[in-house]
Amino acid sequence: MDKITEVNCATGEVTERDLTVDEIAQRKIDTDYEIARAKDIAKAAAAKETLLAKLGITADEANLLLS
Amino acid sequence: MAKQTFTTGQVLTAAQMTSLQQTAMGGGSTTAKTTSYVLTAADAGTVVQMNAAGATTITVNTALFAAGDSVQIQNIGAGVCTVTAGTATVSTAGSLALTQYEGGTLYFNSTGAALFFDWVQAASASGGMTVISTGTLSSTGVTFSSISGYNNLELHVTGYNLGGGGRLFIRLNGDTGTNYTGGYLRFRDGTASIATGAGSPGQTAQIEVDGGTTPDSGATNSAIIEFPAYATTTGTKLVSALAYDLATYKIPSLNFYSYNGTIGATTSITIVASGGTFSAGTYTLYGVK
Repeated sequence: MDKITEVNCATGEVTERDLTVDEIAQRKIDTDYEIARAKDIAKAAAAKETLLAKLGITADEANLLLS
Repeated sequence: MAKQTFTTGQVLTAAQMTSLQQTAMGGGSTTAKTTSYVLTAADAGTVVQMNAAGATTITVNTALFAAGDSVQIQNIGAGVCTVTAGTATVSTAGSLALTQYEGGTLYFNSTGAALFFDWVQAASASGGMTVISTGTLSSTGVTFSSISGYNNLELHVTGYNLGGGGRLFIRLNGDTGTNYTGGYLRFRDGTASIATGAGSPGQTAQIEVDGGTTPDSGATNSAIIEFPAYATTTGTKLVSALAYDLATYKIPSLNFYSYNGTIGATTSITIVASGGTFSAGTYTLYGVK
């Protein structure tokens, strides 16, 4: 079970508790987003490599064209 | 020296005289405590010194002390130590909650009524920073509550690592609604990238230090996150962060988000592991007067 730490800054009390049902659901949303984001980044990088190969230029040369 | 009952003709030893002298100078024999403690009659005339990482209490009960008795209470631990009225009454014009290195004298007006004279220490001057909380990151993150009393807050997150991938998110007031807007300017090995728009997936202010296809995997990141005017009751709130990656890629980033959820004071701040769990890292929350 995932846990979260809670700090009461007025009393200094530090407690660790299990995530609530709502927090678990939100954590799934966050995690799914991170997984999708990683896939998008990988996909974009692969597409860039494919295009550079098709054009027969390097990434530095592509940057030079855009500068 | 603890309160004694001397008898006629008793001969005081040199050690007793030395101890009495020490007590007369405002010190005295010290009893170290590491957990919450209930005062006993033997504590009269001594120093009770708390040293605990978490919150503790020192409880004061009636029918143990005589009028005129006193007990010195000190807190040298990181956790707040609170002088608590048990069956006795405890009155003070100051605070019964003692932060680290604070203390005071408990003086008994009667057997059931004590006065606590706390040694008020100079508050941080305007612009001064106070350490509010410090600790180690673990699991899914940490929530700071009861954060009022400062003009700005500054959160230092040092050497954090998210095993299993993920990034560091910041949430205010536990709000997971689509109430965060902002972006980041990031350099990855000298190449700049800018992203703006609502925090995606919309529920967070994201601290964007990783830029790889495998978020944060194996990276050690740090961030200094600021919450200016967090306690004002009007207007949106700002979260800004200077973050950096200490791994293979040198990725400094400047992150900025506004939060327009609850238009009121920010009452809690949560460090969220967006994926994976914190396998390393420490946090220190500062209050700025």
